Amino acid sequence: MEFLVGSVWAAGLAIGIAAFGCGIGQGLGLAGAMSGISRNPEAAGKIQVNMLIGLAMIESLCIYALVVSLILMYAHPALKGVIATVAGH
Amino acid sequence: MQDLQKIVNFVTKTNWLLFMGSSLLALMTTPTKVSLGVLLGGLIVAVNFQLLKKTIVNNLSPEVVSVKGRSLVGNVLVKYYIRFVISGGLIFLLISNHIVHPLGLLAGLSVVVASMFLATLLELTRLFFKEAV
Repeated sequence: MEFLVGSVWAAGLAIGIAAFGCGIGQGLGLAGAMSGISRNPEAAGKIQVNMLIGLAMIESLCIYALVVSLILMYAHPALKGVIATVAGH
Repeated sequence: MQDLQKIVNFVTKTNWLLFMGSSLLALMTTPTKVSLGVLLGGLIVAVNFQLLKKTIVNNLSPEVVSVKGRSLVGNVLVKYYIRFVISGGLIFLLISNHIVHPLGLLAGLSVVVASMFLATLLELTRLFFKEAV
């Protein structure tokens, strides 16, 4: 039982911490881009290209964390063994 | 500017090429669930990147940003969250119903990161060779 509770805790913490970090990163990136564009609108093209790459990179990190937390909850490699052990007792 | 545009075009093209290549390789060499994971994961991130590119190019071009009083909330943020919720929901359905193997899905989701890594490597190589000359 502790194993399942631990898995759910780990999943929650994983996506929580990842979303926190990615949110801060994307916010800082977007704020910098907006400030750059408002100071120099002609540079919007250059800024948007860099921002596109940065946002996609940060977003994929958050998606990785989501996948890892879903694996911990629904497809944990050791889950079958634990369930069999619990059912055996 | 042209160099930067070239990088984005390279990443966009490489996304689809890597997606097709990795899907074909997975179909030939791995079990069905793993190859389905690579295929669907690659498709999710490649479509995601295309939509992100479309949103940013349409809403942050010099002509559009200079329009006074224009808000980015409706066009960029709402679309961003809709896209993210849809892709998160799809990944949730795929993993919770055991439709795909998680490792295959992780490999598929790495398509965009891999193409960015390739673009960076290419630029670094170009930089080194330029400096050497």
